[in-house]
Amino acid sequence: MIHFYSMMADVDPKSFWNGTNNSPELIAMIAITTILGFIVLGFLMVAPIQLRKYVIAAVTFLSGLFYVAFYLFPVPVGRKPQDVPANIVESVGFWISDTQPVVANFSNIIGGFLLGLGIYSQLHLHIRRITRQQTDWGFSVVLIVSMVAIVICGYGDWIMRQGPKGSELQLQSKWGLLNYGSDLLFDGLLQQMDAAMFSMVAFYILSAAYRAFRARSLEATILLIAALIVVLSLMGALEYVWNGGINNLAQNDANSFIQNFRLTDIAKWLKDTIQTPAIRGIDFGVGIGLLAMGLRLWLSLETTGGNQ
Amino acid sequence: MADATTPEMSLGEKLQALPKWSLYVVLVILTSVPLFAKLEVPNKPVEASIDFYGKIMAVPDGSRILVGSDWTNSTRGESKGEMKVLLRILMRKNVKFAFYCFDPQAPQVVRDTIREVNAERIARQEKPYRPFDDYVSLGYFPNAEGTCNAINNNLLAAFSGKKDTPENSGPKDVFESPVFAGVKSVKDFQLLALITASSTNTVTLERIKKIPLLFMVTGVMVPENQNYYASNQIVGLAGGLKGVYDLEQLMEHGINNPGPEMIPSSKWGVVPGFKGALNSGMGTAYYPTLHFALLLLIVAILTGNVGMFLAKKQAKKGAA
Repeated sequence: MIHFYSMMADVDPKSFWNGTNNSPELIAMIAITTILGFIVLGFLMVAPIQLRKYVIAAVTFLSGLFYVAFYLFPVPVGRKPQDVPANIVESVGFWISDTQPVVANFSNIIGGFLLGLGIYSQLHLHIRRITRQQTDWGFSVVLIVSMVAIVICGYGDWIMRQGPKGSELQLQSKWGLLNYGSDLLFDGLLQQMDAAMFSMVAFYILSAAYRAFRARSLEATILLIAALIVVLSLMGALEYVWNGGINNLAQNDANSFIQNFRLTDIAKWLKDTIQTPAIRGIDFGVGIGLLAMGLRLWLSLETTGGNQ
Repeated sequence: MADATTPEMSLGEKLQALPKWSLYVVLVILTSVPLFAKLEVPNKPVEASIDFYGKIMAVPDGSRILVGSDWTNSTRGESKGEMKVLLRILMRKNVKFAFYCFDPQAPQVVRDTIREVNAERIARQEKPYRPFDDYVSLGYFPNAEGTCNAINNNLLAAFSGKKDTPENSGPKDVFESPVFAGVKSVKDFQLLALITASSTNTVTLERIKKIPLLFMVTGVMVPENQNYYASNQIVGLAGGLKGVYDLEQLMEHGINNPGPEMIPSSKWGVVPGFKGALNSGMGTAYYPTLHFALLLLIVAILTGNVGMFLAKKQAKKGAA
């Protein structure tokens, strides 16, 4: 324990973002932030819709600006806990560096809220479907029952494992109803259905490859041959036989020209010379597109998908 | 009045119109039967897998690494095999690890996998890995981008407030764990191994720059990640089931270990394997299945194409 606190004091200096636990300053800051938060929330609730648009644009811009600064502004390298900034540039750099983990935590918390929003949205939709007895409302019942059951069992199991007797639950003989429920619903059902859903892709791939992968043109033929070579190279047994055959033809001469036609080497050539540069080009294009889209979102120029 | 009888299909047309169900039945049979037979398929590990093994074996015994895990059971055929291989190596080298996840289901999936590998060790009378003392769960982080930046920028702040539960105790701050003893930044971890089936590979690659990265990805992600391996942005890559099988073979034979089964590599010296230990796993078990599935895929594509050519030929003949 002593090691823990001395380590934290050493490497985690207290700052605006990192108050001492249970200190009056920290409690005061939490109280002030909470009050400010409610004031902002109240203001947003009464604000006209037109104004909300500008508030969202401002928050988006500031959030983006922080990460632009994080990437572009000089940040301290090899900083030690006792280091102090020497000038305004370093002060800003230190501030950005100290603030980034806090911003990351903000985004993690907002991400957590999104899960809650998702649950609310699902419940809202499916309860309405059940009460109005719309088409397939029975599936909605199954969904809600499953959701509630897995939340109760999962949360109950988690609370028990966090408690003083949590370590005992590593033995199945100590499990109760909630533990068995959680195990059945998560490991026994959800995880298995997840695997089953994904395994169905194999059937679609086979069917699609059979029906659509045809050598109808020169380009399609080249693609087909290249794909065939790469697929064959994934089959170790076939690769072994092919390479053995080439080796025999070359009479075990490692420098023979024919050694270039080993399946491994042809596939490697295809991957290194054709596939990798092609994907790099695609990635580069996607990157530029993302940059453009990111700028549009950051500056709130992107309006598609929202209220026009 | 039109003729109601259907004209008889030519061989080419028949080959192009195999019913879906017949393909599905053959697929089920071909992928199921090999699971019941223990077959060892000849294999030559690829360079990326050899580098992965070499790098992980170069981690000093008793040190620590960071593990990112973002897979769930939808890709367990590949990802679980990868995770098990990684865990077996780490546990045999007594390397401690802390894991974090960007998928809500992933932390439990990792714990389940650790439990399975621990059960293997207990059955072989080896010391199981204990939570908190040997490994730490840092839990789920909804925002991958911000968290990866924070890990790179200030690891302690990124994981501050996270708790994990040791054996015979309530939850404790993760920084009290021996895994984090003396850790001040991400550089105090030897490397980061990421097992992923999603886009967190690029998120990690773009943001965590202070330690070497090893990726374990699914088969469909290999072409994309081959880029990062070729440009040395990642120092090792295990891709799909082939990657798992490669690593299992490397665990058995090592690199450049003299013998009939030697796996040669000009980049590495002699890297030992774990001869006699439990090295075969999901890679060895599923690789024959992959062979049969790929074989069926090739046969299906060839059948369709042969059918197309025959039909075209017949149509030309008819027109003439």
